[in-house]
Amino acid sequence: MKRSIVLVLALIAVLVFSSFAVTLVMTAGAVGREYVVLQQQIKVFEAQNPGIKVVLMPMPNSSTARYNLYVTYLSAGMPQPDVLMLDVIWPPAFANFLVNLNPYFPKSELKDFFQGAVRADTWNGKLVAMPWFIDAGLLYYRKDLLKKYGFEPPKTWAQLIHEAQVISKKEGIKGFVWQGASYEGLTCDFMEYVHSYGGAILNANGKVVSDSPMVKKALQTMVDMIYKYKISPVGVATYMEEDTRHIFQNGDAVFMRNWPYCWPLLNGKNSKVAGKVGVEPLPEGTGFPGVRHSATLGGWQLGINKNSEHVKAAVKLIKFLVSPQQEAYKAIHSGQNPSRLSVYNNPAVIKANPFYKSLWSVFQNAEPRPKSPIYPQISRIIFTNVNEALTKQLTVDQAIAKMTSQLKSLLGQ
Amino acid sequence: MRFNRMDPLHRTDPIYATAFIIPTLAVIGFIAFWPLGQTFYNSLFKFALMYPQSKVFVGLSNYGKLFQDSRFLNDLWNTVRFTVWSVGIETVFGLLVALMLNKKFKLRGLVRAAVLIPWAIPTVVSSQMWRWMYNDNYGIVNNLLLSLHIIKTPIVWLGFPSTAMPAIISVDIWKTTPFMILLILAGLQMIPEELYEAARIDGANVWQRFWSITFPMIRPTLGIALIFRTLDAMRVFDVVYVMTKGAANTETLSVYNQWTLFTRGFIAPYFGYGSAMSVMIFIFISVFAFFYVKMMKIKLD
Repeated sequence: MKRSIVLVLALIAVLVFSSFAVTLVMTAGAVGREYVVLQQQIKVFEAQNPGIKVVLMPMPNSSTARYNLYVTYLSAGMPQPDVLMLDVIWPPAFANFLVNLNPYFPKSELKDFFQGAVRADTWNGKLVAMPWFIDAGLLYYRKDLLKKYGFEPPKTWAQLIHEAQVISKKEGIKGFVWQGASYEGLTCDFMEYVHSYGGAILNANGKVVSDSPMVKKALQTMVDMIYKYKISPVGVATYMEEDTRHIFQNGDAVFMRNWPYCWPLLNGKNSKVAGKVGVEPLPEGTGFPGVRHSATLGGWQLGINKNSEHVKAAVKLIKFLVSPQQEAYKAIHSGQNPSRLSVYNNPAVIKANPFYKSLWSVFQNAEPRPKSPIYPQISRIIFTNVNEALTKQLTVDQAIAKMTSQLKSLLGQ
Repeated sequence: MRFNRMDPLHRTDPIYATAFIIPTLAVIGFIAFWPLGQTFYNSLFKFALMYPQSKVFVGLSNYGKLFQDSRFLNDLWNTVRFTVWSVGIETVFGLLVALMLNKKFKLRGLVRAAVLIPWAIPTVVSSQMWRWMYNDNYGIVNNLLLSLHIIKTPIVWLGFPSTAMPAIISVDIWKTTPFMILLILAGLQMIPEELYEAARIDGANVWQRFWSITFPMIRPTLGIALIFRTLDAMRVFDVVYVMTKGAANTETLSVYNQWTLFTRGFIAPYFGYGSAMSVMIFIFISVFAFFYVKMMKIKLD
């Protein structure tokens, strides 16, 4: 008898408590250290906000797979996840399903964020997400090996090819690894080559201009790295970010193209290359007007599900995560670039990531991918055709021609 | 055998029979026919998942468009290729192993249990595991072939059409042969030993015994196993999605279907088109199933 009374009381207590306590569900990436670091941040947040509980939902590594999951959640009108981690290219597609954050983030506060990212998060005048961290493609290189052979970090693709050839042959390791699998990451890599030769896929007016000699040269360079100069293994056509990092971190490659998240991992305890890694802007092309060092703008945003039952708590969580202190903590521990400009003046952040200072302009000038609600379809046309060229199913000319005609028919041009 | 209608034990009672069968039919209707009907209904419209209010009725034109879609036809061919190879090889392996496991030997129980392991691992996990094993730098497949001097440079299994599909088919064979073994073994155990004894007395050799006793006796089981496996293979998604995401010309209908419904049909008006594709996959599978039932002379009632 007594026992059952206690049980009933306990049940009532749980019910009462749970009606006061708010549980937020947040999607989170788990690439590198970000998940562990986020867990730490959430602990701090929960301590500061008793009554709000945050449940993290780890997402697959592939951005394409995450997109599909979000389509399921959002189109079903589910109230959870409340807080969504969004790729920089998604706000136009998901805008109708996200809470307008303009009322919560005054213009004076937005000034402190990278404007490119804020622009990417704005669709039809609504701020549908907040920039959380910025990504830009970087060139990682082995300082020790370049020094050993008397090379400077490469400024052009031709220079990179030459250095990679010499060193990889002598050392018996791979020259250059990058992301060539048939997925979103390949579009990022390819855009960097295209921009570095002064080309474009869509021009400022949204017209398809991908059949230019610059774009052909860009793709030719990628293909030649594999088959002509043999600095990249044939396997790059199946690599994503983590595949390349494993190779580089294992000391099996001279150069790697990757995002900033690699830095703390490469210098971590289990890394074979700790202290031997340098970072530079990606090389530029040669022979065309408008050649430049280009980095694709990446990064992740935080948005709130329109159907969420706890918008206020969700805003609190986002405000906390994009606060200068938390962005600094994240930058130091998981190497993800702050989306706030002022955090780059924090000495502790610069000490942990010295390249933030030297590569400031890279982040500042990172180039966006086409902004469109049907971006995933545009990107798919790009990465499948590029991947088919990388695996020699198509020649460079065929791949560019097919890409151009598919893009034109998709966009009705 | 005919039972006496008046025999109280075997009396048929139409009212009871109907009462008992209605819940079953309701459940089947709810979980199978309702979604199927819904999908078919969706396939008659042109709309995006994001704008369900702007549906345009287009009749059966989505189905016509499917057969002008070169990606659909290519993926149909990939699916058929995948199905024929994987189910074919699985059946042969499954039969051979089941015949072996039907003999009496030491530790038979242990071996029978061990054979099931690949089937017990979730496909997503085993596909990821195989993706690593096929890796060109650190994968054990290349490592083994290199150290045996069969190849000189590592093969990028999942990067090229010539090796990616066979690699995926191998994983499927590895994974589902145990299922075949299990079903065929069950069929083998139902064969009475006396039949073999009689055949031996009549002087039938191993081959004759197989074709006149074993095969006819396990044919219904084999038929059921083939139906299960073929249906599974025709709608294969997980192995392909995890291992290549459809790159290197390994895309199957389900992978394309998923892309059409999610990535494309979310914003662009292709949700109806994707639904039509789902219905087509269902029809293809039904045709296969019908064909098997006829060919194997399975009695369903």
